[in-house]
Amino acid sequence: MSLLDALQNECYQVEDVAGPADERRRLLDLGVTPGEQLAVVQSVPFGDPLVVMIRGMRLALRKREASWISVR
Amino acid sequence: MHSSEAAPTVSTTEAEQVLTPSFESHSQLPTICLTGAPNAGKTALMNALTGGSFHTANYPGVTVTLSRGKSKSEFGSQLLLVDLPGVHSTSAVSPEEELSCSVIEGRHDSVQPEALIVAVDATQLERHLRFASFVARQHKPMVIALTMMDLLPRAQQSVNVRKLENAVGVPVVPVDGRTGWGAADLMRALHLELKDAAPRHTSLAVLPDEPVSAYKTIRELLSASGALKNNNQFLLARDSFTARIDRVVLDRYFGFPIFFAILVGLFSSIFWVARPFMDLISWLFSQTGHLLLAVLPAGAFSRFLAEGVVGGVGAVAVFFPQIIILFFLMTLLEDSGYLSRGAALVDRPLAYLGLHGRSFVPMLSGFACAIPAVLAARTIPSKRERLLTIWILPLMSCSARLPVYALLLGALLPGAAWKAGIALGVIYVSSLLIGALVAGLISRLILRKRTASLLAMEMPVYRKPLVKPTLRITWTRSSAYLKRAGTPIIVISSCLWLLSNFGLGSRQPASTEGTRAPLVAASDLDHSFAAGLGQTLEPVLHPMGVDWRVGVGLISAFAAREVFVSTMAIVFHVSESADGQQSGLLDNMRTATFSGTSKRIFTTSSIIGLIVFFFFSLQCLSTVSVVRSETGSWKMAGLQLLFYTGLGYILSSGVVTGLRFLGVA
Repeated sequence: MSLLDALQNECYQVEDVAGPADERRRLLDLGVTPGEQLAVVQSVPFGDPLVVMIRGMRLALRKREASWISVR
Repeated sequence: MHSSEAAPTVSTTEAEQVLTPSFESHSQLPTICLTGAPNAGKTALMNALTGGSFHTANYPGVTVTLSRGKSKSEFGSQLLLVDLPGVHSTSAVSPEEELSCSVIEGRHDSVQPEALIVAVDATQLERHLRFASFVARQHKPMVIALTMMDLLPRAQQSVNVRKLENAVGVPVVPVDGRTGWGAADLMRALHLELKDAAPRHTSLAVLPDEPVSAYKTIRELLSASGALKNNNQFLLARDSFTARIDRVVLDRYFGFPIFFAILVGLFSSIFWVARPFMDLISWLFSQTGHLLLAVLPAGAFSRFLAEGVVGGVGAVAVFFPQIIILFFLMTLLEDSGYLSRGAALVDRPLAYLGLHGRSFVPMLSGFACAIPAVLAARTIPSKRERLLTIWILPLMSCSARLPVYALLLGALLPGAAWKAGIALGVIYVSSLLIGALVAGLISRLILRKRTASLLAMEMPVYRKPLVKPTLRITWTRSSAYLKRAGTPIIVISSCLWLLSNFGLGSRQPASTEGTRAPLVAASDLDHSFAAGLGQTLEPVLHPMGVDWRVGVGLISAFAAREVFVSTMAIVFHVSESADGQQSGLLDNMRTATFSGTSKRIFTTSSIIGLIVFFFFSLQCLSTVSVVRSETGSWKMAGLQLLFYTGLGYILSSGVVTGLRFLGVA
């Protein structure tokens, strides 16, 4: 499923990272790699961006960016 | 560099043009670069190693210029330390990251490091070690400075430094830049590496560049060596100090009210706290001017010094208290970690306008001064969003416009301070709204093609800012501003003084040698170059409903907006008394008429027209020069000057004509 559908404070595993090549590469560089655990830890007013915890880092992702990340 | 994959946002040459500072001095010392991912505690480390005044921040990518300094002498033979901007990704996106990568890879012309110190956050080993592997691939002497050790208990992690060192094959030294703990050990390790010139085979250097397998290898390396225990990141996420604060400041209902309360607090301090200091500074400079005139032999030169030079310096210095307060509070917000939350909060509305969450910092600074604002735009990763942010910055009502609005509103609404206050509030809010409108229109109509844009912003943990470093950074940034903005303003105001005091066939001030020259030699002004220019421009000024004297004011205001007020005082023959200048000026403006007629110059419509002109037209030539150096070409800077000044002129003329058509004088 998409990261957008993830429940807050539940732990998921990254399945795949899609998106345009440059943006995808940057997400991978930041450590959003397949197999990695992540959790949505905070919602922001408007629900965009959302804050995920991954590799010990809080990362604010726009919905557009989160939609490229599929999790299970 | 993965040039094939790198985002084509900024070309290498442009980034270097924009961000290359001059490295003329210190060239005899070996250069050591400090690198790391943003928020690795790199700049605090720089402070500890040099004992100097460097920027340390908790906001991703805030090191806007390369700071450099000599290492403290107690750390052995001196080295030149250069702090490189933080790098999130080596497939570089922002011009700052590109700059850092080019230095690390030895592609930079003026910064050639002999060794590198890589700051690695102990609580985020995997990510930071991956960046360290990029550095290790260059096969230069390197040392890892392990920071944030004090945060490990919070994350319920423990790091075994010896095992980590064996695993990565590079010296690892735990440090705390904030207290200076470990700095001496770090420098000792660095000196050893510099002596031992043989290239090391490190397990970091053989890590693949491809992120997925690189991260996998690092994790295996860390667990097999036993360097890292209890990698439980989620504990940090749910129950930590940072999570509790985030729940409040990013709350669905309280998030925005808190954000606006912080902004209002920041603004009120910029305007109210700075006020008495600004009054003191302007009094000091006017006294210095009087003193110079009294002490020096009367003549053109002493008047040039007193009015042109001292007046010019005063015009810059008067904003210094505001700039100091702005930088101090911004640094506090950055260091505490709140600034990136603010950026996340406003990202959605700003992205709708084609801007970026990080655009809010430059926009905010723009209300104090456009110059630090343009510089602050460097942290915006995509070129399109960065340029669009810079494009709308002149609309943010900078504080140099405040004295102009105060004068014009005083003339428009005499004796009703509260009305003027409300009008001023309307001007400020409209400047933000019109800025938003312009950004939205440009991004939707002109830059229709969507380009790569990514928020993916790290939100650092909250930490208590330390007072001393914050004050040091504030001072570094403020004095850099003074240098940056001051030079052009002084040059321009000196030139304008010469233009308004000399002219063909004028009574040269020099001929009054021996007699005391009046402070305001208005009769000279009537024949000066500036008057000639103003008179030539008079037909152009006609639609705005003003005469050449106001035109001289408008031209001089390109040195700095507030110069308009002092020029008005000169052209409308106000003799300077200690404090009555403004009221004297208002009286003279009220009675001023077009020469040879009894038609008033300052009527309701022409004053509103002037306010409209100042609202839209680009504030000063220093802004043009900063935009030029930040964008790397005159194109955008010139276009901006023409666009806003033209817009101001057209709208102002339109408003005056419209109001007169409606019967408003």
